[in-house]
Amino acid sequence: MACLSPSRLCARVQDKLLCQFGHKVRRQTVFVKLKPPGPTPLRIFGKTCQRVTTCGAACGSGGVGPAAAGAVRRLASSLQSTSTGSLPDYGTQIVDPYRLLEDDLNGIYEDIRSELERNTNQAELNTIATYYFDGQGKALRPMVAILMARAVNYHVYGENSALLPSQRQVAMISEMIHSASLIHDDVIDQSDFRRGKPSVNVLWNHKKVAMAGDFILAVASMMIARLRSDEVTLVLSQVVTDLVQGEFMQLGSKETENERFAHYLTKTYRKTASLIANSVKAVALLSGADEATCELAFQYGRNLGLSFQLVDDLLDFVSSAQAMGKPTAADLRLGLATAPVLFACEKYPELNPMIMRRFQEAGDVEKAFELVHQSRGLEQTRFLARKHGLQAARLAAELADSPYQKALAVTTDLVLNRIK
Amino acid sequence: MSLSCLRNVARCNMVKVSPSSVFLSKLRGPCAEREVYTSSTQHAVVTQQNTKPDWNRAVSEAEKIVGYPTSFLSLRWVLSDEIANVALHLRKLVGSNHPLLKTAKNLIYNGKNNMQAWGLIVLLVSKAAGHSPEIPDMEQDKAAGVLHSQRALAEVTEMIRTSHLVHKGLVNMNAPKIGPGDPDDMMFGNKIALLGGDYLLANSCSELANLRNQELVELMSSAVRDLAEAEFLGERDEQNNPLPSRPLPEEQREAASEWECVLQPLPMNGVRGCARREWVARHVLAAGALLGKSCSAALKLAGHASALQTQGYLFGCHLALAWQAFLDLEAFSGPEPRSFSLVGAPLAFTLQARPQLYELIEQGRRSVHDVDYHALYQAVLEGDGIEQTKQLQREHISTACEVLDSFPNCDARTALANIIVAMHP
Repeated sequence: MACLSPSRLCARVQDKLLCQFGHKVRRQTVFVKLKPPGPTPLRIFGKTCQRVTTCGAACGSGGVGPAAAGAVRRLASSLQSTSTGSLPDYGTQIVDPYRLLEDDLNGIYEDIRSELERNTNQAELNTIATYYFDGQGKALRPMVAILMARAVNYHVYGENSALLPSQRQVAMISEMIHSASLIHDDVIDQSDFRRGKPSVNVLWNHKKVAMAGDFILAVASMMIARLRSDEVTLVLSQVVTDLVQGEFMQLGSKETENERFAHYLTKTYRKTASLIANSVKAVALLSGADEATCELAFQYGRNLGLSFQLVDDLLDFVSSAQAMGKPTAADLRLGLATAPVLFACEKYPELNPMIMRRFQEAGDVEKAFELVHQSRGLEQTRFLARKHGLQAARLAAELADSPYQKALAVTTDLVLNRIK
Repeated sequence: MSLSCLRNVARCNMVKVSPSSVFLSKLRGPCAEREVYTSSTQHAVVTQQNTKPDWNRAVSEAEKIVGYPTSFLSLRWVLSDEIANVALHLRKLVGSNHPLLKTAKNLIYNGKNNMQAWGLIVLLVSKAAGHSPEIPDMEQDKAAGVLHSQRALAEVTEMIRTSHLVHKGLVNMNAPKIGPGDPDDMMFGNKIALLGGDYLLANSCSELANLRNQELVELMSSAVRDLAEAEFLGERDEQNNPLPSRPLPEEQREAASEWECVLQPLPMNGVRGCARREWVARHVLAAGALLGKSCSAALKLAGHASALQTQGYLFGCHLALAWQAFLDLEAFSGPEPRSFSLVGAPLAFTLQARPQLYELIEQGRRSVHDVDYHALYQAVLEGDGIEQTKQLQREHISTACEVLDSFPNCDARTALANIIVAMHP
């Protein structure tokens, strides 16, 4: 909480021009429903701030002086290793999207769990299928979907627009498709931990785990079908195809550097960005927006998704295992060459053979890790992530001015500056 | 497509002419009254009198009726990047013990339980029921008498079923002992199996979406859900092979409830410990639901009333159950096999009659291979499990045939009847 609160406060600071940290805040803030100050779950910056030491220090300093408008950015820049740079101020206030959507996101995991529970009479299937819907995730996908839904509704219908139940369903579906793919990834990659707890493949029979993934997908498909929109079904079925094709792309690698980078970007789109892009497109379709707006939503999601994954690949090199809730340099260990490695190749061509043999030889992982840190690979990855983030923010700015539209821009910032 | 030609050649070689004349008189139900093997239709001259109708022949004749073979191993598939990828990786697995190899072999080898027949049945039902005159010509495959959408649906059915089989063929690497084979090979095989199955599932999702019929998407998705549920029913060994539940005396069983809405999950009350109900529930989830829902969906695409759609569901579901009973019986019709399904109907009925035999089953808790199959085999032969299974199969056949009778007489209906007769005990 402590991490975000300065930023949240500074939104109000700008409104009210005077406000001190920890003091009672007047309750007329436009966007943000105020809660009594105190710890609330901190999503994107980590579960609890105390666990991330650098973050804690930054928050402390934020609490001393009067909060400034750029607190989020300062905070980010104080995190030397992960700072992805700051974005220009897209609007006057910085809105915490999770706070803004608190009511909409409230109970979303419970709703997913009860949807799954309704669809099976097998207790163990229910246990495995609901395992990752424990509310500990960042819920980034549902958040972005609902945010876009509200922003587009506002864009089309103005101030009095509300979130459609079908749009909230899409938010749930996006998280379900994501989890189904995580569950299958766990079996493929044999990971031990996910989200700070043992992953499904450690706890249960792998055949059953695979079936649980299929089950979640099937229930999600039924939910999609119940929206009774041909377009939405087509858009969301594309996601599933993309996910699998992305996995297949990950099995192979390309010989030349140019091909390799294009391959990596396409893979990243299919594995990560497609889900976000198509689910925000789906909510835009449901709101009845015109084609241009739907395309704008799609492009926003695509850029945000790419930026998200680039940061993810970056964090795999710089973040601590504790903050991530999963081991780091995990991609290298899995034989995957992500953006930092591909960039590092320019300076250190000796990485090429390692990429081709998927870092299988003894010492490869350590050597590659070292070379990436010596090169400008991390910097260049950060730059690329920032480029996509900026693009997403620019697209968001084209929507009608609303708190949700602003939060869309803030989200790109959150994605860029996250540390886990 | 060369592959399917190959299959047909293989099939001709396999045709065996049974000396016994198991004949129509044995068929109970409305189908018996009808001349099944009339040669009145142009294609469906299936067998001569006095020979037992052969399964393979019934299937291959039926394939001609609905046009080209329904195999999804069509050019499109062979040319797909992902499938080529899987094939490439499969080669690395040759020599390892991964069950995916066996699954792949079964997909191409045209045995009696081949899954190609599933799509075929969907197409035959489509043709037998015909379609509403309002459907524009563009959407029809005039020569074959089915709609393009129905053909796509048949493909979806096969994809879903294959995907499920492929996922079922994973190795549980979480077991204390994972059996023979290099763990790295097993892990790699799992990866390919999981991705391959996912690929089929994802394709079936987009094929379904292209049909632009949301009720249909919901129905077929619920069939995928049922298949997943099937893998959780009852006791399992460490590799998730099913074991029968301990038989319960009649007074301890719960009341069973009907599956009133197939979009809801199958109710489980009163299922465990009752041989017949458990067998039905297990195979409805693992097979009947998919075939039934596919047949029902085919009729929906043709614009038929929901009453007929329900009939379609019943036909598919009962046919799948009859089919399963037929497969269960096969283990007991030839020489003694080394092993057989522990959840087959003959054994289930035998266990119910002699609950003390359950001790033998318990030896398989770790692995079904530890079970004394010989003792169980003898027990089944001594009791009336086989007779009860035949009775069970007859009941399902007769329900399926009742539905068949409501379709107009045509070559597709004859072909369906022939397939049913071919598996008659």
